[in-house]
Amino acid sequence: MTAPILDVRAISIAFGGLKAVTDFSLSLPAGALQGLIGPNGAGKTTVFNLLTGVYRPQTGEIHLDGRRVDGLKPNRIAAAGLARTFQNIRLFGDLTVLDNVRVACHVRAETGLAAAIFRTRAHYGEEAAIRERALSLLEIFGLSHRAGEYARNLPYGDQRRLEIARALATGPKVLLLDEPAAGMNPQEKRALADLIALVRRQFGLTVLLIEHDMGLVMNICEAITVIDHGVTIARGTPAEVQADPAVIEAYLGAPDEPPPASAPAPAPDSAKADP
Amino acid sequence: MLGARAAALRPGYGFVLSRAVGPFGAFLALAFVMQLVVVPWAGPFYEKLLMDIGINCLLAVSLNLVNGFTGQFSIGHAGFMAVGGYVAGAVTYYGSFVLWGSPAVHGGFLGGGDLLFLAGCLVGGLFSAGAGYLVGLPSLRLRGDYLAIVTLGFGEILRVLLQQTNDVIFVPAQIEAATPWQMATALGGALGFSGIPFYTTVFWVFVMLGLLLIVAFRLKESSEGRAFLSIRENEIAAEAMGIDTTRYKVRAFVLAAFFAGIAGALFAHETGTTLNPRELGFQKSFDIVIMVVLGGMGSISGALVAAVLLTVLPEFLREFADWRLVIYALSLIIMMRFRPQGLFGIREIWELWRKPPGASPAGRGAS
Amino acid sequence: MTKLLQTLFDGLAVGSLYALIALGYTMVYGILQFINFAHSDVFMTGAWVAYVVAATAGWAALGGDAPPLYAGLFTLFASMLFCAILGFGIERLAYRPLRKAPRLNVLITAIGISLFLENIGQRPELFGTQPQKMPQLLPDTTLFTIADVNFRVVDLTVIAVALVLMAVLQWLVFHTRLGRAMRAVSHNFSVASLMGINVDAVISFTFVVGSAMAAAAGFLYVMKYPGALKQPADSTWILLGLKCFVAAVIGGIGNVRGAMLGGVLIGLMEMFGAAYLSPHMRDIYVFSLLIIVLLVRPAGLLGRATVEKV
Repeated sequence: MTAPILDVRAISIAFGGLKAVTDFSLSLPAGALQGLIGPNGAGKTTVFNLLTGVYRPQTGEIHLDGRRVDGLKPNRIAAAGLARTFQNIRLFGDLTVLDNVRVACHVRAETGLAAAIFRTRAHYGEEAAIRERALSLLEIFGLSHRAGEYARNLPYGDQRRLEIARALATGPKVLLLDEPAAGMNPQEKRALADLIALVRRQFGLTVLLIEHDMGLVMNICEAITVIDHGVTIARGTPAEVQADPAVIEAYLGAPDEPPPASAPAPAPDSAKADP
Repeated sequence: MLGARAAALRPGYGFVLSRAVGPFGAFLALAFVMQLVVVPWAGPFYEKLLMDIGINCLLAVSLNLVNGFTGQFSIGHAGFMAVGGYVAGAVTYYGSFVLWGSPAVHGGFLGGGDLLFLAGCLVGGLFSAGAGYLVGLPSLRLRGDYLAIVTLGFGEILRVLLQQTNDVIFVPAQIEAATPWQMATALGGALGFSGIPFYTTVFWVFVMLGLLLIVAFRLKESSEGRAFLSIRENEIAAEAMGIDTTRYKVRAFVLAAFFAGIAGALFAHETGTTLNPRELGFQKSFDIVIMVVLGGMGSISGALVAAVLLTVLPEFLREFADWRLVIYALSLIIMMRFRPQGLFGIREIWELWRKPPGASPAGRGAS
Repeated sequence: MTKLLQTLFDGLAVGSLYALIALGYTMVYGILQFINFAHSDVFMTGAWVAYVVAATAGWAALGGDAPPLYAGLFTLFASMLFCAILGFGIERLAYRPLRKAPRLNVLITAIGISLFLENIGQRPELFGTQPQKMPQLLPDTTLFTIADVNFRVVDLTVIAVALVLMAVLQWLVFHTRLGRAMRAVSHNFSVASLMGINVDAVISFTFVVGSAMAAAAGFLYVMKYPGALKQPADSTWILLGLKCFVAAVIGGIGNVRGAMLGGVLIGLMEMFGAAYLSPHMRDIYVFSLLIIVLLVRPAGLLGRATVEKV
């Protein structure tokens, strides 16, 4: 077995007294497609925020392709090859679809401000290469015909796909998808699963995804990590995880024991929103 | 990974040369035409008005780089104007003494005096850019509206410092004896820096404006510039896409300060203006902010239109001069309520009439 | 030693003035997260209304050593009442329609209000374009002297009135239902409204209280510096407001006690700087302090760093 491309060692963070994530570890082999699941408020998005440098882990280490990245600013981590999408879509609404993707290509650009102002030959070459790359990504995601539209005007499903296309434009080694199928209908979800498989093959990506749709996760992920209250409670193949009593308890609230008559089992939705 | 394709896609030298240099030539030609044809025909009143318009356009478009492109909110632009104006004024005033023994305008159009003036403008712009770096670096790291406070405070500190400067030295013998430091601190204090030669012409104003417009449009149509815009759109997403947001904010701020400094230099050498600390205070900064907000933050052409409007209107509505600022204030308030995006929003004027049919081809555009 | 104590006393007097104004900034920022640029102009209006009331009433012309005590109190309350209404009106007419607008729009509106108050105040029908001298409402005497330090009546009045008002505010915010509602709204806007708190009323109340405080500060300011009643659009006012905002930032923006602490700190810093370094550079000390605080502790002395939701 080769060294993992993303190696997360016991990272934790607490906000005030609230332990949002405790000793989270994860080892993603190159080319893997894994899932991160858990009830609402379990700390999944917080894990992504820790990995991408939005929050700085208070303990532990994060290694990306052999390089330590915890404590770096988010832009440095993106440059190192870790890209993400956002649960609550964060597109550049008043830029065109093409420009959204072109912004993300900028991290791989080599010419600078002076070249842009004086329009050197290298600048023209690079602009053309960025454009070509952005258009080819839009092609893959079926967004070519919308290239000139403002991102805020896209339908919801297209916005989700554009987020993934934009993340890919940064040229990542590892892609983190935060609920990419949220709000999609079953057909769109199936198409999305195919798309994820396709880009993974084509770009040699490693993918970690957060998803609420269990069907999707169980279908496409090779391994799954389950967290609840910031603590890892299970890890394994979809089948193993599905059968794990701790997981069932986290989601359904201990169905094997008779629930106390006065207090019905809490639905996952009643838990606190992700911090 | 872009590298190989970028190298392969480089266009021919002829294309690059014409595209890269063409706009400079065009604006230079325009400046000559303005100076040599339009000005003699229009007369001194319109000459002064043209210079005022040009300077305000410089200020509005440069502030737009910060407030419109990166979505930050600076309200101390006049402070950078003051830096540029005073530095450039000191260069030409004392420089003229040292070179030619008198601060009077030296040489004709594009003569020795004009070259000194050009040098003064550039030095003023550079000092202003340096000030922009010092002000921007601590405050642009923070999210939120602290920049507004810090830029306002910067303008005030500058005013206090300028008011502490000594009287302008105008006796040649004293100037010969003065050290550079003594000259640099003899800027007229609260009374203002009088005696600066009137080098500003419509030509120079339009040369500088042309430069700024080339820079602004080229930024908007380049990967570098899109990084600026992404910060305005969503700072967190921009960071996650690998944009060093602090660095780009500081870059925009420094660029804006550079051109504000040049505008200040032009203002300092313009006939009929006095360079004094009060002239370049809050009120001036607010005037510029209003131009940018009215035009639409992010729209270069909008800033131009607003700057022209707000320079020309007061000239022709002099009987309402007392009410000018009351009207400005009310229009700001009403606009935020009913049309917060300004006249043109973030689009350029010509983008309003077409529905975006598809992306514009790379590298094409005004520049 | 005398100089030290005198400076300390002067600094406390100025600082308590600043604290009064800083409270208005910090309360509004705490609830609505924007810099109420118009606050310095409410302060200016308070000072000018005090002048108009005092000059019209003509107490100073009554003769004798000093006008009666009620003159000062009446002027103070008139000014506070006027500005409370003004603050209420500003929030109601200008800020409330923008409750859901981007913060930048609100900030620009605030700048618009500020410009409006300044320039409408300059109209000859209102305050005019000339600086004025505040009539004397308090005896200009030294109440007592300790260790050669003069405790002037004016300075003691400033400190006393400021202390009383701050005590009232403290009680309001921390010991009443309304105060609890204010803190709830400032903690979480939408949750507070879900909990049945009338958010609009709380915000109106915040503006009323903040503006009344600013008016009181305006009154105290012209009592302390009768010759410093500059014309409404003079930069003095914005500069004073700016300093008080800096005080609020230094104390921790959104934090009521922080604003008081910050105000006093700024006042002391300014007076000590003026007495021991150079009197011309007071503003520079204040803004240098701001830069240092922003670099070292952006959340302020008593503020807590907030985590942005992603």
